[in-house]
Amino acid sequence: MLATALAVAVAGCGGPASTPGPARPPARVVSLAPSVTEIVFALGAGSRVVGVCGQCNHPPAAEKVTRVGGYLSPSVEAVIAARPDLVAVVPSPGNREGVRAIERAGVRVLVVQDRTLADLWASIRSLSDALALGDAGARLVEDLQHGLDAVRARVAGLPRRRVLLVVGHKPLVVAGGGTLQDELLTIAGGDNVAADVGQSWPQLSLEMVVARAPDVIVDTAMGTEAGGQSLFGSLDTVPAVREGRVVTVPADTLYRAGPRVVEAATALAHAIHPDIGPPSG
Amino acid sequence: MSAVLAAERVAAGYGARDVVDDVSVGVTPGTLVGVIGPNGCGKTTLVRVLSGVLAPRQGVVRLDGRPLAEQPRRAVARRVAVVAQDAPLVLGFTVLETVLMGRAPHLPSLAFPRAHDLVVARAALARLDLADLEARPLGALSGGERQRVLLARALAQEPEVLLLDEPTTHLDLRHQVETLEVVRQLCRDGGVGALAVLHDLNLAALYCDRIVLLVDGHVAHAGRPEEVLTAGHLAAAFRTVVHVGRDAVTGDPIVLPVRRDQARRT
Amino acid sequence: MRAPYLTARRLTATLAALALGLVATLAVTLLIGPSHASLGTALGDPSTPDAVILFRTRLPRLLLAAVVGGSLSAAGTALQGLLGNPLACPHVLGVSAGAALAGVLALIAGADPVSPLVPAAAFLGALGTIGAVSFGARAGGRTAPHAVLLIGVVCNAIAAAGIMLVNAIVSYAQAQGVLFWIMGSLSTQSYAVVGAAALYASVGLVWLLRYSQDLNLLAAGEEGAFQLGVDVERVRRMVFLAASLLVGAAVSVSGMIAFVGLIVPHLLRLILGPDHRLLLPASFLGGAAFLVWADTLARVALGPAELPVGVVTALLGGPFFVFLLRRDLRRGMA
Repeated sequence: MLATALAVAVAGCGGPASTPGPARPPARVVSLAPSVTEIVFALGAGSRVVGVCGQCNHPPAAEKVTRVGGYLSPSVEAVIAARPDLVAVVPSPGNREGVRAIERAGVRVLVVQDRTLADLWASIRSLSDALALGDAGARLVEDLQHGLDAVRARVAGLPRRRVLLVVGHKPLVVAGGGTLQDELLTIAGGDNVAADVGQSWPQLSLEMVVARAPDVIVDTAMGTEAGGQSLFGSLDTVPAVREGRVVTVPADTLYRAGPRVVEAATALAHAIHPDIGPPSG
Repeated sequence: MSAVLAAERVAAGYGARDVVDDVSVGVTPGTLVGVIGPNGCGKTTLVRVLSGVLAPRQGVVRLDGRPLAEQPRRAVARRVAVVAQDAPLVLGFTVLETVLMGRAPHLPSLAFPRAHDLVVARAALARLDLADLEARPLGALSGGERQRVLLARALAQEPEVLLLDEPTTHLDLRHQVETLEVVRQLCRDGGVGALAVLHDLNLAALYCDRIVLLVDGHVAHAGRPEEVLTAGHLAAAFRTVVHVGRDAVTGDPIVLPVRRDQARRT
Repeated sequence: MRAPYLTARRLTATLAALALGLVATLAVTLLIGPSHASLGTALGDPSTPDAVILFRTRLPRLLLAAVVGGSLSAAGTALQGLLGNPLACPHVLGVSAGAALAGVLALIAGADPVSPLVPAAAFLGALGTIGAVSFGARAGGRTAPHAVLLIGVVCNAIAAAGIMLVNAIVSYAQAQGVLFWIMGSLSTQSYAVVGAAALYASVGLVWLLRYSQDLNLLAAGEEGAFQLGVDVERVRRMVFLAASLLVGAAVSVSGMIAFVGLIVPHLLRLILGPDHRLLLPASFLGGAAFLVWADTLARVALGPAELPVGVVTALLGGPFFVFLLRRDLRRGMA
C-alpha cells in the first residue's frame, strides 16, 4: 500500500493534470515499457491494454497491440490518440519530456521503477492496485519469490562461482553491484566479480578481466558468440576462458524487471553451474 | 633587344569584368620598366598576368618566346621572381628561413639548403641591409623590414626577370631609394629585366628606363620617362592638375602636384 | 632564440629526442594500470596473469594509442598548414564522420563490435567520404580550402543525423554500442589490429612528409607558393588525401577521439617553430606520447572502472583550446 501511495504521489508530482484515481478501474491502459507490458499481462489484465511501446514483444498477444512509439521516445500523439485512462511508464533516458507532455494532457500516469528486485515487487503491487485487481499483485509476487527460492535451493549445495556478466563488448561494459542482474546472479549461485567497482554499469579495462579471474563469463552483449570468443580468447589465465566457460545467455529476459525473472535466474544458474542438469520448462 | 617576358594584347579580369584590355608590355634584360597609373587601373592585375598567376582571357604571355602557361612551374620560378604587395608571411619563420624559401625552385623538394644556398641568401640579405636581422622571427620586424625581406627572397631566387608590385609602400625615404638602387643595379650589372609598379612618379622618373602609363585597363602612353611624364598626360590620367619640370642637371622630369590656389594663377 | 634556420642535424636531434620520449612513455605506462602486474613475473613466465595483463591487454592497447595519436596529430598538423588555420582539426574533414556512420551501420546490421568487419566497414566509409568531399570541393580544377571545410561540416552534420536516426530506431542495448564511435576506445587485445593501423599510418605519414617543404611554401600564400614553383593544386590534393587516410584509419579502429589533432600540433608549433619538415614527424611522435598518457589516465582515473578516452582528451583539450583561442585573439592572429 505504501508503494502504491508512493507511486501515485510521484505521478501526482507531474503536474496539476494528474488526478489521484478515477472512480472506475482503468479500462484502457497504455504501457510504455516492455517490462510493464509483461507484468500487466501476467496480472491477467492484458485485454485492457490498448497501446504498447515498440519494443514490447512479450507475451505474443502484446505484439498485436497498437504501437505508440519507442521505450526511449514514446509518441505523445499516439498515446493520446489511444484515449487511455492510465499510462504506465518506467523512467528511461529519453522519455521524460514525452511523459510530462502526456501528463499535461490530463492523462493519469503511473511511474514504476525497475532497478532492483525490491523495485519489481513494488511495481507489480502498484500496477495491481492501480488496475484494481485485488490481490492479484500480491499473488504474483509470491509466485515469483517462490520461483526464485527454488533456484536458490537448486544451487545451494554447490560451490559458489566467480562470475562476470558482460553487457557490451566494445566498450567492455559489465553489470556492477546493486543491479537487478547482480541480485539474480547471486541467487543463481554466482559472486559478481565487478560488484565492488562502484558503478551500476561500469566500463572495464580488459586487464581487469584477467585480474579478477572469473570462473564464468556470462556474455549477454548484442553481438555474436564469435565476437565474445575473440574478445576473451587470448586471456587464457582466466579460468572462464581456460575451461571454456564463456557462456552466451539471451538478453531479453535478463534485462527486464518483469515476471520472467525466474526464467532469467534459471538460465543464469545453468550458465554458472552447467552440472545441475538442463533447464526444466 | 627583345623582351624576355612579354604580355601580348592581353585582356584579363575577375568574374565577368575585364580589368585590363588589349595591353602589351614587355620586360627586357638590363632595363627597368615602371608601371604607373591611378588606383584601379589594373596595375596589380597586369603583374599577376605577367607572373602567370592569372590566366589572360585573350592574348598570351610569352617567356623566351614560348607561352608561359605551357612551361613547368618550377622552371619558370627559377627565372621569374615576384615581389607582391602585402604578401602573407608566416610570422614564426626567421628572416633567413624566409629568404631561403626563395631557393626552393633550385632545390629538390625535401633537400636542406646547401652551402651555396646560404651564400646566395645571405648575400641578398646584405644587399638589403638585413644581415643583422637574419635570426629574427618575422613577427618581430616592422612593416618596412618585412617588405625588404620579401625583396630579399625574390633576389635569392636569382631570377632573370623581377616583377615588383609597389615595393616601396611601407618604406622610409632612405629605404625607398635603396630598394630601387638595388633593383637598378641588378638590371645594369646582373642583366636582370625588371618591371615595377610604382606610385611615386618621381622615383619612377629617376630609376626607370621605360614607363608605361595605364589608365582604365589600357596603355595610355609608353616610352621614355620624359615622353610619358607630361603635364597633359598626367592630368588626363590622374584627373588632377600637375606641373612637370625638368631637373637642371640631369634632365629628368620632376612631377609636382599643384595647389588649388596656385592652379588659378597659371 | 632559435637557430636562424633548420639544419638536418637539428632535425635528427629533435626527432631522436622525441622518439626516445615515446619509448620511455610506453615503458612507464606499461606498468600503470587499474590492476597490479609485475614485470619481473611476466618476463619470467609467459603463462602468468601478469604476463597476460602486460603483454596481451596493456601493450597492444598502448601501441594502438601511439599509432592513433600519432596519426591524428600528423593529420592535424598537415591540415592546419593546408588550410592556413591553426585551429583546424582532423575531424573537420568529415572523414571521421563518414567512418563512424559506416561503422554504426555495420553494427546494426548485426556485426559484433569486436569483429574486423566493423573497422573494415568504417574504413570504406572513410574512403567514400574522401571521394565525396574531393569531388564536391573541386570546381574548375581547383580545390578551394574553404569549400573543403564547408563540405566537411556538411558531412559531419549528415553523419551525426544518421547516427541519431540509427539511435532512435535500434534497441537500447544496440544504442550503447554506438557510443563507442562518439567517445572513442583504444581497448584492443589484437596485435593484428595494431599492425594494420600502423601500416596505414606509415603509408599516410611518409606520403605527407613528401610535402613538408611545400606546406612551408604554401603558408606564404597561394600566389607566393605558386611563384616559388609549387604546384598548389596538386599539393592540396595530395595532402588532403594523405591526411584523410591517416584520419580514416585511426577512426576506423578507435572511434572519434577529439582534440588530439588540435592540441598537439599547436603545442609543438609553439615550441618547435613552423617548419613542417620538423613539425610533421614531430607531431606524429608527440601525438603518440600524448594519447598514450591520456589513455593511461582514462584507465586509472576511476579506480577499477575506466573512462572513455574521448572524455579525457576533451577535458584536457577543451580548456586548452579556449586558452589558445583567447591568446590568438589577443595577439590579433585569429
